[in-house]
Amino acid sequence: MTLRKGFLNTFFPSLSSVNAPAPEIAALNRITYGPVPEEIEKVKKEGLASFIEEQLNPKETDNEKLSAKLSSATLQIRYAEKDGAAAVDESRPLNLLNASIEELWKLNNKEMMLNYQEKVRPLEEVRAASWLRAVYSKWQLREVMVEFWHNHFNVNASDQKIAIVFPVYDRDVIRKNSLGNFRAFLEDVAKSTAMLYYLDNFTSRASPANENYARELFELHTLGSDFYFNNLYNRWRDVPGALNGKPTGYIDEDVYEAARAFTGWTVADGQNLGKDKFPDTGQFYYYDGWHDNYQKRILGNEISPNQPALSDGHLALDLVAYHPATARHICKKLCIRFISDEPSEAVVNGAVKVWTQHQKSPDQIRQTMSYILNTKEFTSTWGKKVKRPFHLMASVFRTAQAELTPNQGLTGQLSQMGYYHYNWQTPTGHPDRMDYWLSSSNMLARWNLANGALSVNPNNRMATYNFISQMPAGMDKPADITNFWIEHILQKPMPAAFTETMISFLVNNGKADQPISQDKMNNKVSSLITLLTMTPDFQLI
Amino acid sequence: MRRREFIAGCSAAIAAMAGSKITGYSFSPYETNGAIFVYIFLRGGCDGLNLVAPVNDPNYIANRTSDVRVTDNGDGAGLQLNNGLAGLDFRLHQKAPELKELYDSNALAIIHAAGLTNGTRSHFDAMDIIERGSLTDKNLTEGWFTRYLNSTTSTDTNSLFSSMAVGTGIPVSFLGSEDTLAVNSINDYKLRGDTRYASILQSLYTGNTLLDEAAKNALNSIAEINKRIAKDASNNPVPYAPENGVKYPENALGKSLQTLAQVIKMDMGLQVASVDYGGWDTHEHQQYQFASLTEGLSKSLGAFYNDLSNYQSRLTVMVMSEFGRRLKSNKSNGTDHGHGNAMLVLGGNVKGGKMYGNWPGLDNEQLDNHVDLAVTTDYRTVLSEIIMRRLANPKLGYIFPGYKDYKPLNFLNGNDPKVDYSKAG
Repeated sequence: MTLRKGFLNTFFPSLSSVNAPAPEIAALNRITYGPVPEEIEKVKKEGLASFIEEQLNPKETDNEKLSAKLSSATLQIRYAEKDGAAAVDESRPLNLLNASIEELWKLNNKEMMLNYQEKVRPLEEVRAASWLRAVYSKWQLREVMVEFWHNHFNVNASDQKIAIVFPVYDRDVIRKNSLGNFRAFLEDVAKSTAMLYYLDNFTSRASPANENYARELFELHTLGSDFYFNNLYNRWRDVPGALNGKPTGYIDEDVYEAARAFTGWTVADGQNLGKDKFPDTGQFYYYDGWHDNYQKRILGNEISPNQPALSDGHLALDLVAYHPATARHICKKLCIRFISDEPSEAVVNGAVKVWTQHQKSPDQIRQTMSYILNTKEFTSTWGKKVKRPFHLMASVFRTAQAELTPNQGLTGQLSQMGYYHYNWQTPTGHPDRMDYWLSSSNMLARWNLANGALSVNPNNRMATYNFISQMPAGMDKPADITNFWIEHILQKPMPAAFTETMISFLVNNGKADQPISQDKMNNKVSSLITLLTMTPDFQLI
Repeated sequence: MRRREFIAGCSAAIAAMAGSKITGYSFSPYETNGAIFVYIFLRGGCDGLNLVAPVNDPNYIANRTSDVRVTDNGDGAGLQLNNGLAGLDFRLHQKAPELKELYDSNALAIIHAAGLTNGTRSHFDAMDIIERGSLTDKNLTEGWFTRYLNSTTSTDTNSLFSSMAVGTGIPVSFLGSEDTLAVNSINDYKLRGDTRYASILQSLYTGNTLLDEAAKNALNSIAEINKRIAKDASNNPVPYAPENGVKYPENALGKSLQTLAQVIKMDMGLQVASVDYGGWDTHEHQQYQFASLTEGLSKSLGAFYNDLSNYQSRLTVMVMSEFGRRLKSNKSNGTDHGHGNAMLVLGGNVKGGKMYGNWPGLDNEQLDNHVDLAVTTDYRTVLSEIIMRRLANPKLGYIFPGYKDYKPLNFLNGNDPKVDYSKAG
């Protein structure tokens, strides 16, 4: 077997260096959705640490390019005539990104009989905006963090009600807290209409309570399954530390009790209970008539009966947010995202220390990120991960300087690669393990992606390109063109054999020194760049 | 043999023999006669007490609203099963007539009160343990299917692809298996754009990292599958035509099983496949979602089995979920996470028309933790019987580390090879 493998390797000589780029470039590829030349220049001039510091402190007002893109962007909406409502086929601006929940909730009004397309429009606008932000925002790290938290606090917006309120979830819950305080973040999530629907807490009432939210709060949002000890202990008092109010982990009894604490945390959805009628605003609503008001014990802490409204739930959130297991779970997850699938204990411990020190600070997450991004491990572990599909696709657009016109087709492209853009089904979010993204089906889709996305054919509805304008004036020799794009896209030197292969691909039976005419240039370059994005050097991060 | 060595060595040079059908299964010492095992996982925790239910058990009736309960008459009346457990009147949910038909024709067996012998009520923990195949070692880097593939000697040497996951991703049971295929849609399984891409990619991914292996596997499978796709005169793939006038239902499972049937009929030596069917986490208003999922399960399995009528003697299908659900329904008219569950086994060598296992009862003290159906059959026992009798691999100690009490339920024809509990592959 080995003989044969050796033979094949000489037959198909290895062309890829798969060497790490410079540490700054490696870092930029993780902080951004693929660095653009200005960012590389900036880091060369001012240093990586200063760039990280700036990225950790985004300024809303300083983001002109993105603002212009967001205000000029349009997204198609199309549906046939139905039940007397007229057909619609128009390009509409992204009007709903800043809408309040009351405005959005009107889409849910049954009497208006709105078409399904109108109801999922808020979600579609957030999807479109997420592309524009990833590609054009100056504050790249913030967008990377927003993606991280969307995945951590996953909701599946295939549910129409969640689609309707999705701009609020994205804006006032995820985006608002992405570099903030975790305890505050957790409460915003717990009270968000999206999460109340997703994990069913909106229906939870005494008794038995609906356990869905409470269980995932422990297992996924906070302590994590490494600290779920149900297989070891049947009674709360048996968990080590529980009798002192400091159990090392949790069991089902904690889940049951926490579920009771959140009974009555629901949505103002206008339902009529006979004696009471909920307002119809779509906002968070506490209904005391459903709350289980008796004493509870969560993580070894007793809660007295008959507490004021919301107090049981707030206390439950304190207990999980400040638990040491939560610090470890979240910090490890951040290190896995930013460093490697198996980060060292040392870097996780360091992050836990910062996280815990700042657990009451308004910028707890920023402080923790500042620690992680300034470790040596952050810049020295290139190649330990592959780009997630959203990252891969955004980096294709960024590196080729696309004029992007996001449309619904992009969501389908992502799902081909195993990435479900705000519609991953389970509350785990996507796995953050390299092998998940590398099934044969996902691999194929990763290669096929650029073939459509980088097309200069007028049928490409996603983006347009002008490659010539990015190249030095008058450049027309295949070798020069190839070297220019290798440097531009892979941002590191490549072996001569690799470059040779790319040159012969570009000239395709022609002569290697024959200039490429201007009228063929965009097409030729498009194919070359497509191939470059298929290389391991572009796929890895 | 370790599968990856073979594929890595031969993928590029295999053109001469590829395209031919794999028909011989004479590889010894263990004879599988081309057995194919399909592992269907119901993600989310299927409510086994709403799928296969002891309808007249007074505890069952007392703990559940009629919306989430199978009854013996009226709107929710179930489909009565012969040969139930403990002399009780077990019935299938009324949306499962195809399953009833398969059961009555002795092709389908039901094992009840089965599952994971670990107290977890977490989806993700439970799935992870089940799929890694060890109750104690959370950090195993391989799934149980991977260890099966690594240790099996019964795969034909000509097999191009012995394993496959239907869908875009690979489940944990195949973790660490670098040559398992993932296929979502056969007719889209091709490299687009410039025809020179494939050969250049081949020269770019030559190392032995995870990414290189994944790339080689993808390139190899794209080439092989495209040789076998039925094409029209202008070389475009034609839509798949199932046999026996079968129409697959338009749900996720129906689509997946149709893709799988296509691959099985390409005769590339497929031996094991996994299929996911999600959405079973019915915490609220269970009755609607559950009915529609059950209908999807029943119709899809019926279609698949009929479409593969020429393969039935080689085929074994098993259906399981990470856990069952709470006996008592909650105030949202749903059910929370539970424990013991029903499993289904379908195939030409199944001694069907019968329920297997040991019914533990639903009295409070008979329940696990006083709340859930107890587990009286370890899920590994059910899988092991299939691995031993159909796949002819006796290395249970390696496939399921720590497992050492295989006592077959006898739901399959065939004999057990001598069981091997050693840890070594």
